[in-house]
Amino acid sequence: MELNANAFGRTARKALLDKTLQEALGRTTGRFQAHRDAAIAAFPEFEATRERASRIKRDVLDHLDTYLARFIEEAEKRGAIVHVARDAAQAREIGARIARDEGITLAVKSKSMAAEEISLNEALQGAGVTVVESDLGEYIIQLAGESPSHIIAPAVHKTREEISRLFERHLGEPRTDSIPELIGMARRHLRAKFFSAGMGISGGNFLVADTGSVVLVTNEGNGRMGTILPRVHLAVVGIEKVIPRMADLPTFLRLLPRSATGQAISSYVSIVTGRRREGDPEGPERTHILLLDCGRSAILEGKYREILKCVRCAACLNSCPVYQSVGGHAYGWVYSGPIGAVLTPLLVGLPEATALPDASTLCGACADVCPVKIPLPDFLLELRSDARAQGLKTPGEIVAMKGYAGVMQRAGLLEAIERIAGVLGQFFTKGKGIGGLPYPFSGWTERRDFPAPAAQPFRKQWKIKRGARGGTR
Amino acid sequence: MEDQAGSQGGDAVNERESLFRRLSAACAGNGAASEAPFPGGAPVAPECDPVALFAKTFTAAGGVPLFGPAEQALSDLGEMLRAEGVTALFFPEDDPAAREIAEALVPFGPFNLTSGAEVREGSAAVTAGFRTAEAAIAETGTIVETSAGGKTLLPGLIADVHVSIVRVASLVARMEEALASFTADPPRNISFLSGPSRTGDIEQTLTVGAHGPKKAIALLLR
Repeated sequence: MELNANAFGRTARKALLDKTLQEALGRTTGRFQAHRDAAIAAFPEFEATRERASRIKRDVLDHLDTYLARFIEEAEKRGAIVHVARDAAQAREIGARIARDEGITLAVKSKSMAAEEISLNEALQGAGVTVVESDLGEYIIQLAGESPSHIIAPAVHKTREEISRLFERHLGEPRTDSIPELIGMARRHLRAKFFSAGMGISGGNFLVADTGSVVLVTNEGNGRMGTILPRVHLAVVGIEKVIPRMADLPTFLRLLPRSATGQAISSYVSIVTGRRREGDPEGPERTHILLLDCGRSAILEGKYREILKCVRCAACLNSCPVYQSVGGHAYGWVYSGPIGAVLTPLLVGLPEATALPDASTLCGACADVCPVKIPLPDFLLELRSDARAQGLKTPGEIVAMKGYAGVMQRAGLLEAIERIAGVLGQFFTKGKGIGGLPYPFSGWTERRDFPAPAAQPFRKQWKIKRGARGGTR
Repeated sequence: MEDQAGSQGGDAVNERESLFRRLSAACAGNGAASEAPFPGGAPVAPECDPVALFAKTFTAAGGVPLFGPAEQALSDLGEMLRAEGVTALFFPEDDPAAREIAEALVPFGPFNLTSGAEVREGSAAVTAGFRTAEAAIAETGTIVETSAGGKTLLPGLIADVHVSIVRVASLVARMEEALASFTADPPRNISFLSGPSRTGDIEQTLTVGAHGPKKAIALLLR
C-alpha cells in the first residue's frame, strides 16, 4: 500500500470536512465500543486472561527464534511449504513466483493486513492473477478502488446507498437500500469465485508453534471457504504471530473477538495444519506459508518490542478520540489508530511517518482496552521524543517554535501581546471560543475552536493567586 | 534458467538463515523458553451442566438448539427448514446419523434428498446440510468439525442452513478440552462453528448469511 503518513494533517482535515465519512464514523465506532464494553463486563476473567495473554506474548518475543523455528519445522513436517521474506519487495516476488509456479489465474483472498502491508495484490496482478477480495467489506472497497479504513471493518466509511451504487455499476445488480439484499448479491457473486479460483489467500491470526497450524478467526466464513475449496492455499503472516502451543490458543480466542466486535467467540475459527491428507475429500493440495519479517526483527531488538504483542483486534482504534474523528485513511498506510501511530513509524521508518505519533491526545484509552497490555501512550510519547532527537520537525513547527521562543524570552513584548489579545479577544468573542479566524490562522479554526484569550493573562492570574495564598516568593 | 532456479533456492535458504541470525541476536540472553502453558483461570465452573450451558451459549451465538430425536424435535426442525425455504437436504455418504435424521425429515417436507456434489455444482435449491459434529463446546456454543479420517466439511460450508447432530457425550465444557485431542497430530482442518455466518461490514448492521449458512441448528442427541 502506498505510504502517505506524513500528510496526516492534510488528510485528517479532509476527513473532518467529509460529511459522509463523519456520518459513517459516528454510526460505527461508538457501536463497536459499546459492544466491546458489554462483552468485557460479562467476562469477569478478562483481567486475568489479558494478563496471561500478555505473559504468553512476552515469552514469545523473548524466544521468537525458538518458537518460530518450531513452527516452521512442524508446518513442514505436515506438508506445508514455508517461505521467509525479509522485506515487502521480496515478499511480493515470492508471492508472484508461487502464483506463477502453481499456474494460478484467479485467487480469492480473505482479509489480511499483512498482505496489505506488502501490496500483495499488485504483485499478483503483475503476475497475471486476478485477485478477488472475499471479505465483504474488502470486496466493497475493491470495487470502489479504495483502501481499507479500519482493521476489522474496512468499509466503515461507506453507506448502503454508496454500496448499492457500486453493485449496480460493477455487478449489474438492481438498486436497493436493503442490507440483507446487498449481502445476498455479494454472496452469489463471490460463491462462484470460490469454486473457480485456483488459490485461496489468507492472513493468519495465530501461528501455533507446537503443531505448525495457522489459525484464522472470521465471521463471514470466507476464510473457511478460501482454505478448503481452492487447490492451493497461501497464508501471509507476520513472524510475530506465533504462539507457543495449541493449549495457549483458547486464551487468545477468549480475548480477540470480545475486544474486536464484542462477541464471546467469532462465528468461525479455522485451525489449518499442513496440506490435504490422503483420503481427505477437500482441502488444498499445496499449502504455502509466507512469513514476513518486513522490519519486525529490527523492532524486536529495540525498546518498542512489545508492540509486536498486538493481535490486531482494533479495540484501540474504536476507543481513540482521534481515530473516531478522522477515520483510518488519514493515517496514510495500512495500520491506523493508536496501533498505526506506533507501528507505522517503526515499520516504515520514523522520518516517513513523523506526523503519526503526534496524532494522539495521549488520553490513555487505548492502553485501557488493549487485550495484551501494550503501553501505547508511552510508546507514542517516546516516539515523539525520538523524532525531536532526530531533528524531525515540520517546517511550520520550526517557525512557530522559533517565534514562540522569541516572544517568551522578551517579558515586555509578551505582556503587551497578552494585554492586547485579552482586550480584543473578550471584546470580539464575548468570552466564547473563536470559531473562525482569517488566513493563515483559518487552518487552525477550520477544524476546531480556538479558546478566547483569557481576560487576565495566566502570568497575572498566577501572581494574584500566589499573592492571595501568601506566597513567599 | 537452471541457474536462476538454483540461485533462488539458495537465496531462500540464506534468507531463512539470516532471519534466524537476526532473531537469535535479538533474543540472546533471555534464558530458556517457558516449558508449559501459562496457568490461567477456567471460565466455566466444572460442576455446571454442559448441556444447559451449551443451549444458552449456542443461542447467544445466534444458533438454535433442539433436543431430539423425539417426534416433536423433528417436526420443529421440519418447520424451521420450511420457514427458511429449504427444499433440498444433503448429508455426507459416510455419516449414518446425519442420513437417518435427513431421511426422517422427508415426511415433514416437501424435501428432496440430494448429494453434496450437486450442491457444489451450483444447485439452485435452498439446501440444508446435515453432519455429525465431532464435539461441541459449552463455553462458547461451538460446534467442532474436522477433516480427520477423511470427513467432509461441505454441509457446514456451502449449505444455506446447517444442521449439526451433537451427541451429548461429545460435549465438553471448555475450548481446551476440545483442542486437547488434536495437539499430537492435527488434521488439515479443525473448524469451530459458532452460530450462523454473519457480517457487520455494511453500516455495522449485523446480517446473517454472508458466505456460509444463514441458520445454524444443533440437534442434541442423548
